[in-house]
Amino acid sequence: MDKLKKEFSKIYDKYVEKIFRFVFLKVNSKETAEDLTSETFLRTWEVFKNGNQKIENVSAFLYQTARNLITDYYREKGKAQIISPDLGRPIADPRQNLEKQAILNSEMERIRKALSQLDEDYQNAIIWYYLDELPIQEVANLLDRTVPATRVLISRAIKALREKLEKV
Amino acid sequence: MMTEKEVIEKIRLLRQIKPEKKWVFLTKERILGKEPIFFPFLKPAFAGLLFILILFGLSFTSLPGEPFYLIKKLVERGQTVFVPEEERPKLELDLANKRLEELSKIAEKNDVKKLAPAINEAKESVAQATKNLVKSKKVDKEIAKKALELEKKKKEVEASLQTKITEENPAMVVAKYLIEDFEKRTLTKDQKQILEKAKGCFENGDFAKVLELLLTIGQ
Repeated sequence: MDKLKKEFSKIYDKYVEKIFRFVFLKVNSKETAEDLTSETFLRTWEVFKNGNQKIENVSAFLYQTARNLITDYYREKGKAQIISPDLGRPIADPRQNLEKQAILNSEMERIRKALSQLDEDYQNAIIWYYLDELPIQEVANLLDRTVPATRVLISRAIKALREKLEKV
Repeated sequence: MMTEKEVIEKIRLLRQIKPEKKWVFLTKERILGKEPIFFPFLKPAFAGLLFILILFGLSFTSLPGEPFYLIKKLVERGQTVFVPEEERPKLELDLANKRLEELSKIAEKNDVKKLAPAINEAKESVAQATKNLVKSKKVDKEIAKKALELEKKKKEVEASLQTKITEENPAMVVAKYLIEDFEKRTLTKDQKQILEKAKGCFENGDFAKVLELLLTIGQ
């Protein structure tokens, strides 16, 4: 058990920020993102320690679990996926000066807003490929598409985001 | 028109979205149980976290003109940026109330050096709250209560300093919106009387009284 815990501890450290950010960009609430991220790792740990269901690809498993939880969250709440932001303060960096931080925050909010207006596949493609830097094959697997089709999707997603950014 | 490279660079700014270290640590502990750590305070990560916590702790009680005040403002501004548009007027009213509270403390201590920066902070914050109210054009009971609290605090501080802090008046904006809102509604005879009385108080510039009266209609 200790060996499993150690192994999962490394997985947790490697992915916790990425999963939190992925969830956060979808739900726009720090508290909800914390809850869903925590549940994602808890469920993955349950599967991981029982070993009944082998996890082939941990990163894909985590993202898929997070996606399912996000879908359940919106279904339960009866909310549309595009909602206004409700973020606490996961990003304030005290090393930056006030002016720089304010500019950065406003720019980040602009991008987040534009991203949230895209289709779910476009959002995911951008997050996984550019933000989390997953290999194209993994992004394709997650999106259930071929690699060439994924490349086309990513290119369209960037174009769509650029158009939204011009309007936001 | 932005280039693709510029868009990608902008996307990467979102990497700064990170969970709180404390939450990361506690969640892991909750899932996997406690790790045996004998001298956590000797670990650099813990020392860093402890330092940040102490710094934040010190900043929360700091007043304008003090060294940690900038950190306090930075944290507060960080919070406002991601608050939903409709919640922003409430938050700005809370911040304005805080600034007036700080000013009141400084006035009590008669700390002349900090008085000017504190007045400026309060002035800016009240102006920001007013701006947000005008922009949102929506008020509810909670906003009315916060605006009433702010108006009372403002009057109190102005009386103690024997000077007007600012011409901006969030309570007047809220009172105006509330009157307009109640005028459109079907009211009972008693409620109509209260509304008329409130309109009179508005004419006399007694916005705190207007809010007090209109809050009774909303109950």
